[in-house]
Amino acid sequence: MPLSSDPGDFQDPLENYDADTYDDELERALAEEKVSVIQSIPFATTTPDTPVGEAVEVLANLHGGCLLVEKDDRLVGVVTDRDVLDKIALEYDDLRGRTVGGVMTRDPVFVYQTDSLAAALTVMAVSGYRYVPVVDRDEKIRGIVSPQRVTGYLRRVFDAE
Amino acid sequence: MGGSGATMKLYESMATEDVKQLALREPVLASADETVKAAIGKMRARKLGCVIVIDSDRKPVGIFTESMLTQLLITDPAGVADKLATRMSSHCPVVRETDLVSRVLQSMQVENTRFLAVVDGEGRVTGLTGQKGLMEYIADHFPQQVLVQRVGSRPPQEREGA
Repeated sequence: MPLSSDPGDFQDPLENYDADTYDDELERALAEEKVSVIQSIPFATTTPDTPVGEAVEVLANLHGGCLLVEKDDRLVGVVTDRDVLDKIALEYDDLRGRTVGGVMTRDPVFVYQTDSLAAALTVMAVSGYRYVPVVDRDEKIRGIVSPQRVTGYLRRVFDAE
Repeated sequence: MGGSGATMKLYESMATEDVKQLALREPVLASADETVKAAIGKMRARKLGCVIVIDSDRKPVGIFTESMLTQLLITDPAGVADKLATRMSSHCPVVRETDLVSRVLQSMQVENTRFLAVVDGEGRVTGLTGQKGLMEYIADHFPQQVLVQRVGSRPPQEREGA
């Protein structure tokens, strides 16, 4: 059966659609670009059963401030410089032999690769986290958006104006 | 959060508004004679990732950050008992209150830092800004794009500091 008995009855649902327009490239980037435009690799991972001392050493050598914790190929936590400050630093001798699972920040806020750039900024500005893990639809780790990477991207867009 | 330019375009705002339009934070301040351990306590209490080391005139003479702390733990854990003077960076990145917001973005990238001390015309520390303040500024100027986003997992119970 045809969809319409009279082709003349067809009404284009997009006939009144006006594409968004933006006054500057920064606004367009926030509205339309995906998280993937921001560099999200390399990234470093560890596991919940890794000794804290080993994780802190990796973190220190990263110069990146965040270690992603994965288990069974999925993101389960993060260990950041803030975790070191808040939970580890003054108890380092006691904790260095214990495992990452006991000190990591569990269930971190993340974004999908296909989320908008604005989603990553939401995590930073509204949720208050500085490092934003990037995962695919299977929630496998694909990268991390760091403050340095965001500012680098924003500056490139800003300077191109 | 935000200033008079909330209705201006984002690029225009960043290129014309000054640092005082950012949501500045009260910095954690310390003297160079205080210990790293004492600084850790202050940073924890205020939920901030750095301490600005100042002289008697409130002018910055250094900075100690949480990333420096991580480095210290793997090189010399006993160093937390040392004075900040021996463990801080003597270069404290700063912006002036009258600098443009775009300068904050530039300084953060050039200095490769998340933290910038804000100083007045006399060079005295009056606030703290950086990555978080800049992200909030963008969110404030572009809320329809930023504030309605769905993000994964559960929201945090506490926001991190600047």
